[in-house]
Amino acid sequence: MEKKNSKEKFALIAKNISKTFFITEDIQNTIKQRLFTIFNRPTPKKVEAIKMMSFEIKKGECFGIIGRNGSGKSTLVKILAGVYPVDTGYVKISGSTMLMNLGVGMSHELSARENIYVSGSVLGLKIKEIDKIFDSIIAFAELEEFVDTKIKYFSSGMLARLGFSIAVNAGADIMFLDEIFAVGDFKFQEKAIKIFEKSWIEGKTVVLISHSMETIQNYCQRVAYIKHGEIVHIGLPEETIAMYLQEEDHH
Amino acid sequence: MALKLISDWFRGTNKLERFWLLAKIEFKLRYYENKLGLIWALVKPISEIIIFYIAFEVIMLQGTPNFVSFLFIGIVLWNFFVESTSGTIALLQTKKYLYEYTNMNKIEIYISVIGSNLIGLFFNLFMFFIYFLIFGNGSYLSVHAIFLLAIIVNLVILSLGISLIISSLFIIAHDIVQIWTIVISLGFWISPILFKLQDFRDHLPGLDYINPMAGIIINARAVVLYHQFPEWGLFFWSFGYSIFFLLLGIYSLNKLGSKAAEKL
Repeated sequence: MEKKNSKEKFALIAKNISKTFFITEDIQNTIKQRLFTIFNRPTPKKVEAIKMMSFEIKKGECFGIIGRNGSGKSTLVKILAGVYPVDTGYVKISGSTMLMNLGVGMSHELSARENIYVSGSVLGLKIKEIDKIFDSIIAFAELEEFVDTKIKYFSSGMLARLGFSIAVNAGADIMFLDEIFAVGDFKFQEKAIKIFEKSWIEGKTVVLISHSMETIQNYCQRVAYIKHGEIVHIGLPEETIAMYLQEEDHH
Repeated sequence: MALKLISDWFRGTNKLERFWLLAKIEFKLRYYENKLGLIWALVKPISEIIIFYIAFEVIMLQGTPNFVSFLFIGIVLWNFFVESTSGTIALLQTKKYLYEYTNMNKIEIYISVIGSNLIGLFFNLFMFFIYFLIFGNGSYLSVHAIFLLAIIVNLVILSLGISLIISSLFIIAHDIVQIWTIVISLGFWISPILFKLQDFRDHLPGLDYINPMAGIIINARAVVLYHQFPEWGLFFWSFGYSIFFLLLGIYSLNKLGSKAAEKL
């Protein structure tokens, strides 16, 4: 996949994608329930999380997504990252993806060391490559004393730092960052933003979700404004943010 | 479809390393979290052998020659099947952290879990051979035993196939857990684990072809204990049968597995 598409200029193409959730009061996931409710099925509530949208994200671009809570941002990102399947249309991804919200994929039964190796490997690194970045991951996360502690004993701040540090050091070709700057204490946030500015996003394709208009304004080349599962506007950060603020004020 | 999956796995150069890493961690989680470690892997088959020895040889006097070896190899293979199927029903739930944040191919998770079970199987088979060659009343191995490797390949294909099917069904029907518990306990008694082969065939005709584990156990005994070639008809039937389950499994994972992240 990576090789074949390396000459193309898009990291991600979404065409006519949509996603509807059907929510029932009690979830029907056993045969017993299905049998008992065969004559009076509860009518599921239809939630159109994403309504027909198409767009492309270029290689190396930092693409912002803004919108109010519940507008479909997080669902959209999960679809783009290939975690949720689409109902219609398709998403074409070239390269490995990593979705980061509060924490990355880590197992609570494993130690910090094991989680670093597993995550690194899942992201496509070889063991030798992980050996090389291992110390910097631990140092950046400030977890030197807890390398072999199971992460279920970690505080939420420690977990978030470890996740962020793995992402920074191991990162995938396309990174989806869902409100990641809300991680750790004030000092760690500063450090995170610094590394983000300095080197990290160069050469990587980043999709950034944030409620901080400052962050979006500073880093993104293009921004999508999403409302009720639809794209209202895609364009330069200034105009899109202005539109968003104006519309939300209006209501 | 299957070919595409296979070529997808191996294009990424770190795939084999990743299988090994995940299998090792899985194995460690299972056996090294407690003081006795790997001994636990042996305690189960040994305790079962003691129970069935008392029941069948001491009380019921079935009179199977070399009964402990006979039972040992059957139980070790059967337990691998149970661990790789019952033990993986909720796999997409327990290993969600692996695929929830990346576009990793889910089938890799299954392969590494089966890989970790294989480490346990080889350990148990090693113990079996020690017992067989030392305490087996002058037992020896002939070249036929080499076919055991092919039979293990068959067992892995079967276990992987069934594991894919039931864990995909788990996404839409959680009570597959209870159903599978019944299938397994029934399966134990309709597999030729305890009974003499002739009794099994006389009283349960056709089951050696219907039950996919039967052929595996019958042929494993033939090549290891009795220095014979496998029963070829049963041997190839078992392979075909298992490959059918594997294809069905890959189909169900493709069909149902994509919904795992949102449903589980």
